[in-house]
Amino acid sequence: MIEIDQLRKQYGDVTAVKDVTFTSQPGEIFGLLGPNGAGKTTTIGCISSLLTPTSGHIRVMGHDVVRDGVAARRSIGVVPQEIALHDDLSARENLSYWGGAQGLRGRQLNDRIAEVLELTGLLDRAKEPIKQFSGGMKRRLNFACGIVHKPKVLLLDEPTVGVDPQSRVRLLELVQDQAKGGACVLYTTHYMEEAQSLCDRLAIIDHGNIIAKGTLAELRALLGERDLLRLTGVFRPDAVREALARLEGVEIIQSDEIQLALSVNDASHRLPSLFAAINTAGEVRGTTLTQPSLESLFIKLTGKELRE
Amino acid sequence: MRFILTSAVKDLRRLRRDPVMLLTWLGIPTLVAILLVVIFGRGDARPNGKLLIVDEDQGIGATLLAGAFSQGALGNIISIEKVDREEGRRRINKGDASALLVIPKNFTTALVEGKSASLQLVRNPAQRILPNIIEETLSMLTDAAFYLQIVAGPQLREAAQGPPSDTGIAQISVQFSHVIEGSRKYLAPPLIQLETKVIQENTDKPSGFAALMLPGMLYLAVFFIAGGLATDVWRERTSGALRRVVTTPASFRAFLAGKMLAVLIVLALVGAFGLAVAHVLVDLRISNFPLAVVWIAMSGTGLYLFMMLLQSLASTERVANMLGNFVLLPLSMLGGSFFPFDMMPKGFARLGRLTPNGWSVTELQKILDGVGVTLAAFAAVIVFLIAAWLVVGWRVRRTVC
Repeated sequence: MIEIDQLRKQYGDVTAVKDVTFTSQPGEIFGLLGPNGAGKTTTIGCISSLLTPTSGHIRVMGHDVVRDGVAARRSIGVVPQEIALHDDLSARENLSYWGGAQGLRGRQLNDRIAEVLELTGLLDRAKEPIKQFSGGMKRRLNFACGIVHKPKVLLLDEPTVGVDPQSRVRLLELVQDQAKGGACVLYTTHYMEEAQSLCDRLAIIDHGNIIAKGTLAELRALLGERDLLRLTGVFRPDAVREALARLEGVEIIQSDEIQLALSVNDASHRLPSLFAAINTAGEVRGTTLTQPSLESLFIKLTGKELRE
Repeated sequence: MRFILTSAVKDLRRLRRDPVMLLTWLGIPTLVAILLVVIFGRGDARPNGKLLIVDEDQGIGATLLAGAFSQGALGNIISIEKVDREEGRRRINKGDASALLVIPKNFTTALVEGKSASLQLVRNPAQRILPNIIEETLSMLTDAAFYLQIVAGPQLREAAQGPPSDTGIAQISVQFSHVIEGSRKYLAPPLIQLETKVIQENTDKPSGFAALMLPGMLYLAVFFIAGGLATDVWRERTSGALRRVVTTPASFRAFLAGKMLAVLIVLALVGAFGLAVAHVLVDLRISNFPLAVVWIAMSGTGLYLFMMLLQSLASTERVANMLGNFVLLPLSMLGGSFFPFDMMPKGFARLGRLTPNGWSVTELQKILDGVGVTLAAFAAVIVFLIAAWLVVGWRVRRTVC
């Protein structure tokens, strides 16, 4: 279980994380969704003792990570964003080292190494130096090193960055298996699809602030059942605002000279009337219609796309 | 404690996977020893200089002067060759000899008549020690000639007239006897008692240049290895492995202690190998082999921590490498790795012995010579290792987060 209360991390005048509060339960995958630089890695760094919080409290399985760091870290497994492995060692030797760092010894260590190698599909390549591995295989081993000691709390910091689709699917299955096994999983990502398909609960973080949190259904409810209509072209923002004010069930999320984002009830049936109104205030050159999603929620909450 | 071993095993495995690097490190002392043997021979090599003499005097004084350079120990390191002025100039300009001595015309006459005469010595600027020896010897000889003039001027003048008769020799002998008798009141009883103690020459100890150079060169290899291994922490930092260590329950200092243990083992192997090679190739006398190996390993680990601390001050791996080389080469030169302390100017030698590597070389030499095990030196290294382990652990841990 992870309990975070009013977490704040400052670097001089820069505040990386502001008053972050959430709780994640055993057996749950809690997603931390946000663009690059939002504060996801800083939050994970504070939970895993890599960084010392400026203020606030973090408890992992009841242990305060600052005051009782060693006990807290015994429960934690970290899968970092970078492939934190030794290229010149084999998969088995890497697992042996990281298992040793987690306090595993002898037969217990060997059994667990065999289990996670099997789990990650690396058993037949266990003795090769991993410099010969593909990126996807290294990612899987990176994951294996994080779970070799059967952690009760698993912190995953964008573990699928740069991974081929096949390895990504395998990794996501492995993450789900960990949660099914009772682990409390904290998963950071900036991939909407991953967050939607994987996480039981989510927090959306931007500029160090949690701007929304809840289950996927709760977050969708924040957006309503409206579609997201994005238009590109040449627009006069004031005239657009005036033209759309006459239409019901249309909300402007973002508007400037070259793009327009609208939250619209039943957009697919109302496109002709929408275009007619907008063309009086500019010229539409491109259109994208999206069903309600985390991405549309993120745009609604922050006024920008997640990958910006 | 278990993680120290785990960490050490990890580093040793990684080193084993890179045999080229390991062989390069082992190759440094071997190659250096072989080169020294090829260049300077097996332990009995001595500096060998040549003195060119232009004898324009052709008298007994010139003969005595030239002969003085081929006497005793001096004759073992300096050979004399008589040349004319032109050839002498040409050859010294070519760097063909250590020095050129020009004995002018009428030198003998000036010597016996107490007149002034000037000798001309041209030194080879490319050499330092041998021209110095020649100049010092010449200076001593001219001083001796001056005192000889004062003490036995008339007798010398008589002898210089031509070959004396038997009666003449007897008279000169009697006159010398009177001079010495007259001087006795100043000399006896002697005001200074000279006590002579003959120190038994240690015949086991090789006097060769190669053996003299070897401890310093061995530390060059140790220093390079220590510097190379210290950069490994940057590789682990870049890969993220260092950050991952911090997130485990294992202590970061245990992780560092494991790295130190691996370095200690590697340096012990390199030290043992280097000393063994030196013993075989240049007859290096090793009074206490195990102690010498322990010293190399411990002091080398100290150098490793020193380099790691230095590199932890850098902002990138590239800067760390540059900083390491910037410190490593001058310290090696000053610390007796390129020139033995005995051949350095006194000030530099004194400074060099104060450098960490120079001090280690000096202590190793003592162990090799069997002069005595300096417990204080071992204690100092242990204290340094503990202090550096704490400081480097703190410093590197800070750079990770």
